[in-house]
Amino acid sequence: MTTDESETRRRRARPRTRRRFLTAAGTAGAVALAGCSAERTGDGDDGGDGSGSDGDGTGDGNDTDDGDGEGDGGDDETPTLTVATYTSFIDAPSVSPGEWLKEEFESRYDAELEWATPDNEVNYYVERAASGAGIDADLYVGLTTEDLVRVDEQLDEDLFAEAGDIEGRDAVKEGLRFDPFDRAVPYDTGYVSLVYDGTTMEAPETFDGLLDDEHAGALIAQNPGASSTGRAFLLHTVSRFGDGGVASDGDGEAIEGEDGDPDYDYLDYWADLQENDVRVLGSWDDAYAAWSEGEAPIVVSYSTDQVFADMEGQDLDKHQIRFLNDQAYANPEGMAVFADAAEPDLARQFMSFMLEPDVQGQIAQRNVAFPATGGAELPSDYAELAQEPADPVTFTYDELQGSVDAWVEAWERQFAEN
Amino acid sequence: MTGVDGDRAADRGGRGDHGDRLARLREGVESHALTALAVITSAALVVAFYYPTATVLVEAVVVDGAVTLGVFADVLTDPFYFGELARLLSGESPAAVARSLLSPDRRLGIVGFTAYQAVLSTIASVALGLPAAYLLARFEFPGRKTLRSLTIVPFVLPSIMVAVGFVATFGDNGTLNAALTAFGLPRVDLLFTLEAVVIAHAFYNAPLVARVTTAAWESVDASAVETARSLGAGPVRAFVDVVAPQVYPAVLTGAALTFVFTFGTFPIVLALGGFQLATVEVFVYRLVRDLSYAEAAALAIVELVISLGVLLAYLRYEARNSTSTRGARPLPRRSLVPPAPTLRELLPRAGLAAYVAVAGVVFLAPIASMILASVTGGDGALTLDHYRFLVERQQTGAAFQVRPWPAIRNSLLFATGATLLALPMGVVVAVLTTRRYRGRTLVDAAAMAPLAVSGIIVGLGLLRGLVFGVEIAGWRIAASGAVAVVVAHAVSGYPFVVRTVSPGLAGLDRSLVESARALGASRARVIRDVELPLVWPAVVAGAAFAFAISIGEFTSTVVLATGADAYTMPVAIERFIGRRLGPATAMGVVLLVVTGLSFVVIERLGGEHRGL
Repeated sequence: MTTDESETRRRRARPRTRRRFLTAAGTAGAVALAGCSAERTGDGDDGGDGSGSDGDGTGDGNDTDDGDGEGDGGDDETPTLTVATYTSFIDAPSVSPGEWLKEEFESRYDAELEWATPDNEVNYYVERAASGAGIDADLYVGLTTEDLVRVDEQLDEDLFAEAGDIEGRDAVKEGLRFDPFDRAVPYDTGYVSLVYDGTTMEAPETFDGLLDDEHAGALIAQNPGASSTGRAFLLHTVSRFGDGGVASDGDGEAIEGEDGDPDYDYLDYWADLQENDVRVLGSWDDAYAAWSEGEAPIVVSYSTDQVFADMEGQDLDKHQIRFLNDQAYANPEGMAVFADAAEPDLARQFMSFMLEPDVQGQIAQRNVAFPATGGAELPSDYAELAQEPADPVTFTYDELQGSVDAWVEAWERQFAEN
Repeated sequence: MTGVDGDRAADRGGRGDHGDRLARLREGVESHALTALAVITSAALVVAFYYPTATVLVEAVVVDGAVTLGVFADVLTDPFYFGELARLLSGESPAAVARSLLSPDRRLGIVGFTAYQAVLSTIASVALGLPAAYLLARFEFPGRKTLRSLTIVPFVLPSIMVAVGFVATFGDNGTLNAALTAFGLPRVDLLFTLEAVVIAHAFYNAPLVARVTTAAWESVDASAVETARSLGAGPVRAFVDVVAPQVYPAVLTGAALTFVFTFGTFPIVLALGGFQLATVEVFVYRLVRDLSYAEAAALAIVELVISLGVLLAYLRYEARNSTSTRGARPLPRRSLVPPAPTLRELLPRAGLAAYVAVAGVVFLAPIASMILASVTGGDGALTLDHYRFLVERQQTGAAFQVRPWPAIRNSLLFATGATLLALPMGVVVAVLTTRRYRGRTLVDAAAMAPLAVSGIIVGLGLLRGLVFGVEIAGWRIAASGAVAVVVAHAVSGYPFVVRTVSPGLAGLDRSLVESARALGASRARVIRDVELPLVWPAVVAGAAFAFAISIGEFTSTVVLATGADAYTMPVAIERFIGRRLGPATAMGVVLLVVTGLSFVVIERLGGEHRGL
């Protein structure tokens, strides 16, 4: 653990997030004392960008610890790629792809990979951009369609750059490409479905079946305002029953449900579900914990549940998957280069690395998800435990834009009537 | 930072060689100590609270660069938030609104419901906290001091741990129902109801009520009671006239703090109640997550105004009802074994026995369930696998992963630092706010605000104000890492020191202070040598709370601990939550043990009672 110790010391001496500024702005006048830092912000002659606070706009990106008086383009230094992601991608109690990806990438490329996992995930970078503090990462791994919609609504300037020429990108499955502006490149996908305890009951096969008396109080879902499984399930009901024009802004445009009944929308379905005693808890953790304790036999979760159950030697009968109406809501995850990246080329190399067949296989297994490309190398029995629905459902960027907030809010206002 | 000056001054005072200079210096330091501390406290508040919070709250009134009250008006007149009251605010006649309020299908709105459940939770917390205070303050039994130290342990538990403990205790297949069935009693369906949420709130806050009240009760001067008795007052009369007036400001302190906490409750409501019981903070969280800052800030201001209003109302009461005391010799404790089998001796003890049974179900059973979950495997058999996971993660975890030992170490370091900073901050504010002067209410409100602002908003503010920093004259000043974490934790914890210490200080006989001053002691000296020793149990309780707040703090830690080197135990617990709860509960038990030991150490260091 010595490397770790020295890493820690290095960070203390000069906070990581600040190193690049310091190098670019020169150490003169920079203070880094006990976690406080002060640095010159742009005064017009240190680089082209208008925001003025981004000292590394010149793009040399060499963050060495003794970076005084170093010229641009020092090729002798190993460049560092900072990859931002969500925490469970690199640090989960079961498995996570972070460690393998870092080692493998560093062995294949002459680069050092650093993970960054801010608590607010993508919102952290939206905040950074909005406050002019500069983006201190090269790319983000773990973007969803909704993230992109939210980021684009919030920021006038581009947070992410177009992916451009990424080797291996053609292999990404057509149905997963969720960014109409070609910034995010999908690297895996997952499905939100029902998980039920097959030793005590048989889950209904359709949405309508969940309303049967025999399934009263049987389902635990999650708050769509805070949990991604909860939101996916809500979106699935919108796709199934239509939105009744909730987000139409008076232009008469509405999402039509697959059920073919224009007078019955997702809010009607949820009213019936609430009538049938559905539990909507705060987070996936809350819901899965309550389900594990036998509070209810069905929970909204991922279709890969059996992979984990198998890993832990649990009874697979207790971990059955149900795709309502043979469907599940798909949540493809993508990666995109920050517009302000210090190492844009290296970031794109990382993206094509993520799409290589063996890496795709490893990501799928270690993130317990499904590959985004056609030719991923997976063990032949992977599909036995990781189940895919016959008919994946998902909303496009355009469908979500301007609608998803209204859908969630309308649901909240109906469900939490006090 | 201003803190540096204060430290240097203290250094000089301690290091001087020449007696004369030393004495002069000490005098100088002492006479300015109070002012210096007040300046440091204000600086810490501005840097780690006011400025950061303001960067977010301002979004409620400044939208796209223009000042507007529209967002506020929308929130205030929205029946979803304010129920029938919103109709009043949007101009309907008071009579019509009153009629609707009296009708059975009235709407409380989210804000009304949040206040309603907070009131219920406060009542439950006081009901469960008072008997504990009575037991701890008035009776002597083996392990009393340890038990008193451990009372605030529930306070630091992350909500997911409490949720796990509660589901395992009160759930369909929980311990309580198993016990009821065994005794042939009907089962209870407690989970996912308002009752479960209220009990969970009592689990968190009854210890707070108990601890604050115990400290006040222990400061009651025995001689006052004896005087009353010798003047012919019966025990009940002596209690009502002498003891109660000194104890119930503390009960109110506990109640006011409980209201404020449960008014801002968030994860536990959704974990044990469900979304139909959503509180204001649930919406603040969702709005911040969706980057709808204007509405989030407006709601947070509504929360702030209500919480602060309750705190100030209580403070007015406290100021008007402080009673004079020279508290020095605590009341003698009674034995748990009744000295004589009379009804008067037996009744209170029987009541306590009943209370202990209830407390066993509410406090001990969930904690026991938590511990049991940490040693139960996926197949239901006992196992140490989850602890093995912790050891393994410690040994083989990657540099960028959270490992148990650094989490423990950081938690202890931050909590110690935060306590050492919060204590002087709290004492100086307590001293300033027990004086009488114009505008005191304003100072009170300003000092207590950290309790009343939504944690989510403070977290976002710290990100903007500290981590990203401010631009001043072409420089960007930013702060993050360990020091920033300690200051932020101290700011969250110091109001507890104020609230535990200040009722006692206000009640002190002014003549004590005046005679010490007349004898030439500096103000700081009087505080240190006269006033604080007289309210010492409250100081120790305040220190324990400051420590607990720091240990339990999550949001400000993850925001300020950029990089992987400053995470704490609650962060580790959150990180270890997976499909199985084992690893997280094992880390939760580590948190339980480490904080339990720390509380015992703090109270031992603090001593039982200093007296004069």
